[in-house]
Amino acid sequence: MSHRRRTFFFTAALVFAGMVVPTGNSQQTSGPVKVVHLTGLTGVKDDAKGTLSVENSKLRFVHGKEFFDLSATSIEDIVGGASSKQSVGKTVGAISMAAPYGGGRFLSLFRTKVDTLTVQYRDADGGLHGAIFTMPVGAADGIKKELLAQGAHTATTEQQTAPPASATNPPNKEQKQ
Amino acid sequence: MKRDLSTAMSLFVTILILAAFPLFAERSQPAKIKAAAIQVVMIQSDEIKLPSEFQISLYENLIRQLEKQGGFQHVYRDGDRNAANVADLVVLRSTVRGFKAGNEEKRKVTTVAGKTSITIHCQFTSPDGKSLLEQDVNGKVRFFGGNLRATYDFAKKAAHVAHENFSSPDGK
Repeated sequence: MSHRRRTFFFTAALVFAGMVVPTGNSQQTSGPVKVVHLTGLTGVKDDAKGTLSVENSKLRFVHGKEFFDLSATSIEDIVGGASSKQSVGKTVGAISMAAPYGGGRFLSLFRTKVDTLTVQYRDADGGLHGAIFTMPVGAADGIKKELLAQGAHTATTEQQTAPPASATNPPNKEQKQ
Repeated sequence: MKRDLSTAMSLFVTILILAAFPLFAERSQPAKIKAAAIQVVMIQSDEIKLPSEFQISLYENLIRQLEKQGGFQHVYRDGDRNAANVADLVVLRSTVRGFKAGNEEKRKVTTVAGKTSITIHCQFTSPDGKSLLEQDVNGKVRFFGGNLRATYDFAKKAAHVAHENFSSPDGK
């Protein structure tokens, strides 16, 4: 009896996990993702916190009341990767360095894993820009896939599947509002 | 008496030469190359595998620092069509020659290990590819800051090199 019960609970747990895990993955790819803009977007401050989403063939970075739209077709290369950052903030981290008995150094050992997303895009004049974002682990891949599905390019995929893009690509637009 | 006079004369001549030396030294410095604008080409790292965030951070910081302290009237990005008709344009091509990814954690804990360093060969050319100036510039982060801070260090040094060797035709 007890063995059957255990088997039942184990099977139920497996079925439940099977239902929850895909839902969790799909949540990572859709909807705004909390990110930190390290550098690159024109008119947006470095280290600005905001959200990143892909909608209507655009990559949208929202920071407070302002937003920055980037057409997916203007993206020439998009790369996602894993990185790590210090868990404590920059200011606290710097101040804590003065803590006695190496307390600050001990704090610096606590690190959080993050994803890095780098995007290379062209403005209306053809000028090349690069932007870097950090975001929670697993989020970069979802955004990258959505952008590629909506017309963005990536160097690695193009090399494998398609001939190099011609130099007569139409100019792409960059907007900031 | 005659001997004293000649000693005084030789002393006077020596002092004159020493005083005039810095003037000659200034004259012997190479003249700055006239350039109204600069176009920055994306950092190349064919031989050395460079993380994409480093490549982009180098490029963006370089443009920012050249705008700040390069002394050019205009800084154009890679591929900007507006640069095509600019007279006195200089093109900056940067190739990564060395890269050592350090470790911020190690730097904070030990203060002696974990240094990040990057060496980049900067080539300033005319639009037709004629080399005007070539120099290796490095960027480092030894103690504080994330690894990407090395890119800021490089950009500041590269902009300084540009400022030292190029000047705007209007004398700014």
